[in-house]
Amino acid sequence: MTPPPVEESLVRFENVSRFYGEVLGVNRVTLAIPPGITSLVGPNGSGKTTLMNLMTGLIRPTRGSVRILGVTPEDPEKLFALVGYSTQFDAFPKGLSGFQFIYSFLRLFGWPREKCERLSWRAIGRVRLNDAAHRKIAGYSKGMRQRIKLAQAIAHDPRVLVLDEPLNGLDPLVRAETIALFRELAAEGRHVIVSSHVLHEVDLISDQVILLSNGYVVAEGKIQGLRSEICDHPMQILIRCNRPAALAARVFELDSIVEARLHADGGGLLVKTRDAGRFYRLLNHIALDGIDIESVAPADDNVNSVYEYLIGGEEPGK
Amino acid sequence: MIAKYWAQMRAVVRLEMKKTFLSRRGLWVYLLAFAPVLMFAGHDLSMMRTREERRAIAAAHPVPAGALLSIQPGMTREEVIARLGEPNVDSRQIRFGGGRIRREFLSYTDGQSRYVFGFADGELQSISVREEETFAQDRLIFATVFQFFFLRLAIFFGCVGIFTNLFRGELIDKSLHYYLLAPIRREVLLAGKYAAGLIAAVAIFTASAALQLWLLSLPYESSLSGHEISAYLGVAALACLGYGSVFLAAGLFFRNPLLPAAGVLIWESANLFLPSALKKISVIYYLQSLCPVVASPHREINPVLALLISSTEPASTILAVAGLFAVTAVVLVFASRRARRLEINYGAD
Ligand SMILES: Nc1ncnc2c1ncn2[C@@H]1O[C@H](COP(=O)(O)OP(=O)(O)O)[C@@H](O)[C@H]1O
Ligand SMILES: [Mg+2]
Repeated sequence: MTPPPVEESLVRFENVSRFYGEVLGVNRVTLAIPPGITSLVGPNGSGKTTLMNLMTGLIRPTRGSVRILGVTPEDPEKLFALVGYSTQFDAFPKGLSGFQFIYSFLRLFGWPREKCERLSWRAIGRVRLNDAAHRKIAGYSKGMRQRIKLAQAIAHDPRVLVLDEPLNGLDPLVRAETIALFRELAAEGRHVIVSSHVLHEVDLISDQVILLSNGYVVAEGKIQGLRSEICDHPMQILIRCNRPAALAARVFELDSIVEARLHADGGGLLVKTRDAGRFYRLLNHIALDGIDIESVAPADDNVNSVYEYLIGGEEPGK
Repeated sequence: MIAKYWAQMRAVVRLEMKKTFLSRRGLWVYLLAFAPVLMFAGHDLSMMRTREERRAIAAAHPVPAGALLSIQPGMTREEVIARLGEPNVDSRQIRFGGGRIRREFLSYTDGQSRYVFGFADGELQSISVREEETFAQDRLIFATVFQFFFLRLAIFFGCVGIFTNLFRGELIDKSLHYYLLAPIRREVLLAGKYAAGLIAAVAIFTASAALQLWLLSLPYESSLSGHEISAYLGVAALACLGYGSVFLAAGLFFRNPLLPAAGVLIWESANLFLPSALKKISVIYYLQSLCPVVASPHREINPVLALLISSTEPASTILAVAGLFAVTAVVLVFASRRARRLEINYGAD
């Protein structure tokens, strides 16, 4: 007789790839996510939603396998006893109030009315929407819609929460409340897996961060570890401009530069620096006299460039 | 386990009900379903008015029924008027051939039928009797409307409207994922959605059929037998069952439900001309077999087409019902396979 299996407490991806036709969603992802708050961070299109949809069976891997606490996403009856997912889709079934929305979908579990009512109110209370619960969702603000989705994801008390960009559209106060809720949920021993395209939004609250870029996991681990990994390596930046040679002469005056060389196509300059933030600030000053700078972008796909993108605050209006 | 599936199905039905009965996009389903009701109501009204008029005339200027029947061709105008009196409905004269040929029509009613006597140059040549419409005639009209409009068009397109939207509508609204994120087997979800569509379709279309049947017998003393009435209602419900499954599947397999609808329409219309083995892969074949009055199209269509019609015996009641359930079950099995493979991919739609 085989011994009973040790209870699995990890969300596992084993060499998972997913293609949308020709388009790469994620490639060769291998992960083991323990309980606690885990952030999937990467620019738009890096594969965060794809990973989350794979965890919840909304899409299937092209290759590899996914297991949520040992359960395959192919088995909704087992999976959704364990998992709650708040998607990035800002859409709701028509004509329902916040309460009806949560209550009706809880009834799909096959539970009796009283239990569903009780769970609905508890979830609504946790996201502080009690006052709006009987209003139609169609009249909710973006922030309220985010919260009612969150309530729907936590209503059945799942051990694994998957939340796609849950902080999007929340004002600072609600955002702080929501983060406090994540901590609470994680402290109860759950997995709280959140995604964001802004690292500094989640880095402080995360037990673990997974950095994604173009469908690859480029770094993974505790946030402190990530920071040191990033600081040790100089990062490469490509500056597209009309006079790269002239620019090269100027940038060497900057002390943070490790290396600068002309790009092979003659239309740009590749610069290596240890302090990208400082480099960007200085670049603003030398750019003024006679050199037209077309673009400045991280030149490689490594952790640094993604990180730089994420903390660079390039998103206007953020 | 079964109890849980049943509870889950009921939860799905509850969520779907409002959409299937009251979607703004689905208003035309009601128009289609109740168009024949309007038609029969109009027919009843005009019939009752005519009757009323004839009775009023006959009461004011009675014409003995026996006298009307005694009129023979060859009598003169004067003889006819001597027996019947002046026409109590109307009289009309037509002259042609430069005024040389004179025709005259005298109309009488005994309160029920209308008699028109046609004279040529004062001599009675034609007698036409417009009887009151009979129940038998109307029953045949009903049978024809039921088979050629109600089954083949109204229920058909009504089911297109109701059932293709069950999945497709939510893919368009981007709200299907809420269902797929619940611990419910896709088969149970599909069954729940199908049940919701079926409840709506059966309620709408059998209600319409029942109203039509009531209006059909309203002007008459007689009415259809209970057996015939339940056969019509049953056929309407079975049509929803069969077409519902087909269009539920169509909504899962196709982006644009009108294409499969057109395909199925062509297939079902061609059913008459198909060899008998293929006939059985359809919904209309079984429904046709179950209709109580056979309103056969054979007489009206041209003989070349008639040759092409393969003469498959209509299936017996039990076989027809079983066949319809079998077709439905097969289609639903395919649909649930598809539902299992379904991925949420709103972006690409
Ligand atoms: N349904 C789809 N069809 C085709 N390509 C898709 C689809 N969904 C995502 N992709 C592609 O997969 C990549 C990852 O997308 P996604 O997982 O949505 O990223 P993120 O959530 O990080 O913004 C992107 O290049 C995107 O264009
Ligand atoms: Mg996304």
